[in-house]
Amino acid sequence: MSLFLASVGFGLITSAVLAIASVGFTLQFAVTDVLNLAFAAVMTAGAFVAYWVNQAGVSVWIGLAAAMAACSVLSVLLNLAVYAPFQRRGSSPITLVIVSLGMALIIEFGIQAVVGGVNVSYSMGQGRTFRAGGLVLTTVQIVIIAISVAVMAAVHVLLRYSRLGKAMRATAANRTLARNCGIRASRVITITWAITGGLCGLAGAVFAIDIGSFGPTSDDLFLILILAAVFLGGPGDAYGAMIGALVIGLGTEVSAAYIQPDYKYVIAFVALLAMLALRPTGLLGARARG
Amino acid sequence: MFESAGSAASAAGNEGHKTSRYGRLFRACSMAVAIALAAALAACSSSSSSSSSSSVASGSTLTVADVAPFSGVDAALGPTYLVSCDGAVQAINNAGGVLGHKLACTSADTRGDPADAVPAVGSLIANTKGLALVIGCTSDEAAAVVPVLNANKTVMFCMTGQSEFDNVKYNYFYRLVPPDLAESYAMVVIAQELGYKRIALAFGNDIGSQTFVQPAVASIQKAGLTLVANETLDLHATTFRTEAQKIVSAHPDAIMTEALGSADPTLFAEIKQLNGGKVIPIIGTSAAISPAFYQASASAISAAAFSANFHADNLVTATSGPAYNAFSQALLAVKGKVNGAQTGNFTTYFTAPGAVHLYDGINLAALAMVAANSTDTSKWKPWIATIGNGVPGAVTVSSFAQGVAELKAGKQIRYVGPGGPTSFDAYHDSPGIFQIDTYSPTGAVQVTGNITAAQLRAVSG
Repeated sequence: MSLFLASVGFGLITSAVLAIASVGFTLQFAVTDVLNLAFAAVMTAGAFVAYWVNQAGVSVWIGLAAAMAACSVLSVLLNLAVYAPFQRRGSSPITLVIVSLGMALIIEFGIQAVVGGVNVSYSMGQGRTFRAGGLVLTTVQIVIIAISVAVMAAVHVLLRYSRLGKAMRATAANRTLARNCGIRASRVITITWAITGGLCGLAGAVFAIDIGSFGPTSDDLFLILILAAVFLGGPGDAYGAMIGALVIGLGTEVSAAYIQPDYKYVIAFVALLAMLALRPTGLLGARARG
Repeated sequence: MFESAGSAASAAGNEGHKTSRYGRLFRACSMAVAIALAAALAACSSSSSSSSSSSVASGSTLTVADVAPFSGVDAALGPTYLVSCDGAVQAINNAGGVLGHKLACTSADTRGDPADAVPAVGSLIANTKGLALVIGCTSDEAAAVVPVLNANKTVMFCMTGQSEFDNVKYNYFYRLVPPDLAESYAMVVIAQELGYKRIALAFGNDIGSQTFVQPAVASIQKAGLTLVANETLDLHATTFRTEAQKIVSAHPDAIMTEALGSADPTLFAEIKQLNGGKVIPIIGTSAAISPAFYQASASAISAAAFSANFHADNLVTATSGPAYNAFSQALLAVKGKVNGAQTGNFTTYFTAPGAVHLYDGINLAALAMVAANSTDTSKWKPWIATIGNGVPGAVTVSSFAQGVAELKAGKQIRYVGPGGPTSFDAYHDSPGIFQIDTYSPTGAVQVTGNITAAQLRAVSG
């Protein structure tokens, strides 16, 4: 029981970080039509921006804001300089996937060229440790969960109640129709890159805080978890991504408690495959017909 | 979110658009997988045809290639070896070079993966003029690249400890480090010396780390200690909280570990958190003696906590005397100039096994060429063992410059570098003896004891 509760706690932390990243990824995909496999590489860039800020003697929590700003700018530039030109030329989705894969390698190796092969950590304490049964959470981990909940609430408000959110949803649903309705789709797309880039930077920094020690390649496997959460919830569905993140986060950590931990990602993907077979449109999607 | 889109128009267009998106997505993913497979197959099929057995043109440059991970989880290894290479080569060139040839270092990034290592070595062989020597070849890639290099008749000094090289003869393969099972035994001896009874194992899931596990399990049993946990760490995983929880719950006295990259530092931090802020004593392998490992671990759990709780086995290396002085000066001459090796306490390289023993390997090879008066591999290769093991009446030399001077004086020489005397067996292995290292809070390596051959035999599983 103690190990189960402990693993639930670990799962909540993983889910919290994963949710921020997955919501950013799925919003980006929904509105821009780019399955951006460079997302995790940009996360790493954000983690290092926060690190450099932190190394300058500034609190890592200020570094989070710097990471968000830097990744927001980086994502917008990535779109303007790389993805948008390909889209304007009518490149197929697979071309964009390959381009994004290339950008992931360029960014990752670029970071490695700058920082070397070393792993680094933020200068910060973990705060008090809270225990309840087998559940063990530090103050920092509770703050990460709170940040994640706040981000989910903010995304909900953005999508449901703001003009921008409605424009994003309309653009995601049908870009041509949105344009015909007077929505400046290209502007919405650029703003979406900025917002999701910010989420990406935030996810990268909290991910690095969470794992304690990180390097240029630390986010590699995390991209797979992001994809799993996004597809579990239904690609392009922000609320689905939130639920997907919770399921994947808890699934990987709780399963690790009872089987060999190095198989925990396998368990997550077995669940994903089962879901795709039974409900290909994701947890929140309509049931597949025929 | 699409389902909640407000307008009827967009809702009507929604279903078709989503179906189209899924279709494109599946096609995109399928194509991505196909392209990745094709790329992998193409990489695997790369081949080479050149051979390094013949002598090179007079006055041309001889190349020493560092074949090791420069990216991926073991990315700290390649730069460590390159420090050694640049330092040794610069010292050799300052002493006039080898038979009129200057030496230069190059590198091939294996990413710590055999699948990447083979094409990297193929490209190295095909594109490097005057390839005289290869160093590095860690356990991550040795099984894949050693046969390739051996077939190309390239002499190599490898850092792999894999037992499969203990009794298999590769004519061009040399090793100045012990088999990994001996390191496992050395770790168990350290546990005994420090009075630890309950041992947890936490090794990475890479080839180079897993090779320690079975010998360690057998040795723990032989030594009468108790194995309380045995966790395998996926080096690409992001957290190890569950593994840490299992280890903490098992209440070990010490953890034996090798999981490079961010894995070990992350594990240490998570164990500290789950163990009420207390660090469980750690026993590492010689791979943990590197500035990068110290820096990452110290920043994860604090320098004071890490240095107070960490021990590692390491090969005995000189810390004073003429060989050490020549070695340390050679390395200091390249301080800050080697990409990827600018961080951490530079003096750690003076005891890092890769730096020490590959420096010795380069000097042995260079002196062998001078002794053979040839850069033809078939002629100078036999001199490696002659100079390393020595012959009766040979003069002991501790640097390349000294060795050349004695050879010019017509004397036989035995090279004894900072890694101590070598003793190559029929398989070109020279295993060395162990010491116990710790770190000071500033990251300087401190030697706290030695491990005798009798101690190792006593725990050999």
